Amino acid sequence: MGETTNEGGHLSAGIDLSQFYQVFFEEAGENLETMEKMLLDLDIESADDEELNAIFRCAHSVKGGAATFGFSDVAELTHQMETLLDKLRRHELAPNTGMVDVLLASGDALKAMLGRHQGSGAAAVDTTELLTAIRGHVSGQTAVAPASHIAGAAEPAVAAPSPAGATTAAATTDGLRSLELRVGPLPDPSVADNLVDLFKEITNLGTIEPLDAGRDADGVRRFKVLTTSTDNDLIDLFGFHVAREHVQLMPLSDGYGFHEGAPGAPPMQAAAKDLGYGFFDDAPGAPVEGTSNPAKGATATGATAPAATPAAVATAAKPAAAPKVEKPAAAAESSTLRVSVDKVDQLINLVGELVIIQAMLAQNSKDVDAALHQQLASGLADLERNTRDLQEAVMGIRMIPMSLVFSRFPRMLRDLAGKLGKKVELLQVGEATELDKGLVEKITDPLTHLVRNSCDHGIELPADRLAKGKPEHGTITLIASHQGGSIVIEVRDDGKGLNRAKLLSKARERGLDVSDAMTDSEVYSLIFAPGFSTADQVTDVSGRGVGMDVVKKNITALGGTVEIDSAEGYGMTVRVRLPLTLAIMDGMSVGVGKEVYILPLSSVVESFQVQPGMIKTIGGSGRVVEVRDEYMPVVDLERVFKVPRFDFEHVSNIMVVVEAEGGRIAMLVDELLGQQQVVVKNLESNYRKVDDISGATIMGDGRVALILDVGSLIRRSRH
Amino acid sequence: MHSILAVDDSASMRQMVSFTLKNAGFNVVEAVDGQDAYEKANSRDFNLVLTDQNMPRMDGITLTKKLRENPKFKSTPILILTTESSDQMKQAGRAAGATGWLVKPFDPAKLVEVIGKVIR
Repeated sequence: MGETTNEGGHLSAGIDLSQFYQVFFEEAGENLETMEKMLLDLDIESADDEELNAIFRCAHSVKGGAATFGFSDVAELTHQMETLLDKLRRHELAPNTGMVDVLLASGDALKAMLGRHQGSGAAAVDTTELLTAIRGHVSGQTAVAPASHIAGAAEPAVAAPSPAGATTAAATTDGLRSLELRVGPLPDPSVADNLVDLFKEITNLGTIEPLDAGRDADGVRRFKVLTTSTDNDLIDLFGFHVAREHVQLMPLSDGYGFHEGAPGAPPMQAAAKDLGYGFFDDAPGAPVEGTSNPAKGATATGATAPAATPAAVATAAKPAAAPKVEKPAAAAESSTLRVSVDKVDQLINLVGELVIIQAMLAQNSKDVDAALHQQLASGLADLERNTRDLQEAVMGIRMIPMSLVFSRFPRMLRDLAGKLGKKVELLQVGEATELDKGLVEKITDPLTHLVRNSCDHGIELPADRLAKGKPEHGTITLIASHQGGSIVIEVRDDGKGLNRAKLLSKARERGLDVSDAMTDSEVYSLIFAPGFSTADQVTDVSGRGVGMDVVKKNITALGGTVEIDSAEGYGMTVRVRLPLTLAIMDGMSVGVGKEVYILPLSSVVESFQVQPGMIKTIGGSGRVVEVRDEYMPVVDLERVFKVPRFDFEHVSNIMVVVEAEGGRIAMLVDELLGQQQVVVKNLESNYRKVDDISGATIMGDGRVALILDVGSLIRRSRH
Repeated sequence: MHSILAVDDSASMRQMVSFTLKNAGFNVVEAVDGQDAYEKANSRDFNLVLTDQNMPRMDGITLTKKLRENPKFKSTPILILTTESSDQMKQAGRAAGATGWLVKPFDPAKLVEVIGKVIR
């Protein structure tokens, strides 16, 4: 049986492990996210066993995969994390913030490593400090000695078995690890002998001996290494002679075993040797030695069970004994399907086309006599209903819960509050609220900025809060909810709030046009003005004067709005309202000549009939209109888009006031045609970028209507 | 064709094991944890069960114990995959009635080899 690994090497050539990498990367990413979330939620004073077990399982699972698929750097770091977590779940160590910190930092490092393996081009991650820190915690010393070097003055903390027999794979009692080193495939496998010489030159490194009697299998040489050094250090060392990817380290042993006498176990001649696998004697199914028979096996099993170490059984049985809340993750996994976003978008596109065709059919059949063509009419009605349902269902595929955005904040706030010396608690409400994937990606940065801002400028220092009679912990609340066809996201804090007088004086300093008569909400909106920052001091975190204006601009670009509510001394609420999706938009269609244009409904303020004398001409070409004591520029769509006009007598006499990026203009149009949902088609990808146009749509009658870029028109009016 | 029940909460490990075993000519049914495996095992027969040890909902040791309670699985080989090669783990596996163990990480070929020892 000692020769079995050679057969193995031959057979494994048939299976290309890289085909499983992608699944591993995704799974490891999810495990790291879960681990981070659970670490942040961990109550250090009274850590729940099940939580510690679950965190352990995440590290354990990443390690298992990484080791299997050959990502030895990931495997090594997770192995150390696992050792620490194992001690925590066994209550051999009490958790502390230092441990959580180092585990979180390790999680970050792992993400970077995985990113690197996926070809992100990131620099190599140096884990020496992390490994040392984890070992420090494992050995119960938080103050840690500097990192050890290659010759590895041994890491007793890691290698030495813990009192309860914590499980460092393939560790032996004297702190030596027995590893199998594989080198190759190399064109000249004898190069591997240089590694042996190098290894032997370094004192205290351990021993190395060939496992293959000097013969290579397909250019791969195998050695048995007994060492106290870490995998990384060894790989670094061997890197002098061969490329890193040609060095593979794994726990020595054949990696399996059978229990003597276990049902189905094979003949036991190999029992004495640790092959890394095994069969139990007489266990059911263990390969049978000549005389054994299943009946005997069954009896023996019954007999061995009570004899087992009670502690071992108790530990093993624990997770199952407390089957608390059912973990949805595993169950959900089997019922989900990973599909590329491209495929979903293609589907959405096709449904968009279908919606247009359906609308055209509906339009064309308007004049058909329903009495004469009853079946046609009812068929069209069914088509309309099914099309609408289909559209909704397909759009639903792209919907993902806000928790995906919110999940990044606990970690961020923890780090940020720590840096600022503040105490902040984060509450999340409605994180299951769903939003289009495209929007989720785009709203993440603005929301991050708002949360940072609340922590930096809103929440006071603990001492100040106590002095004001507030609880020492500030609270930031994130609330997501659906309201009509929009999603509303609120960032609420119970900090110092906004100071009206301070905002006004700052605005005057900046030369902004303000008056004491402005309403509170107008004054609060000043913080969205470019270059406006009320922070007395620019901090490392925010307050660099860019920010809130960019936040507002980004949200407006998504067709959303932002508003602020505040009470000085009690906090502030920023309310972001977004459309549910970017693919469908509520629009107002307006007619100019024979053309139809769509205005995003979210930007429309009001419309009215122009009375003679309302429009005034100033300074030559500019025209303004006075609406409720406010003068705003007039933009004549007919001129902007050079709409051909054959009725020379006609004068556009309807004004639509639109608002974007903090400005308002009045658009001159011929008629208001109505409001409807339009399927947005990207003009840029189908044609090219056109000034003042953000996209196009196809109307019910089959005509193309352009969607106006209100922000761009407002900017144009400023020049 | 021999049927194998492959149990692991890690999708990548499941895929790898499943692919390897199918390649070796076995029929493979996957389960995401002990509970899932237990349900699948009750509804059909398997010639071998290959289970991870540490899983949510139900771990490999408990699965082994529960399977052994069922006369149908009294003598079916059950192998436990583990990253821990400690005696304690082996004893727990043995006490539960497991046939043997296989240390992770393992080579795909090693898996086939070990299984070949108990299924012929």
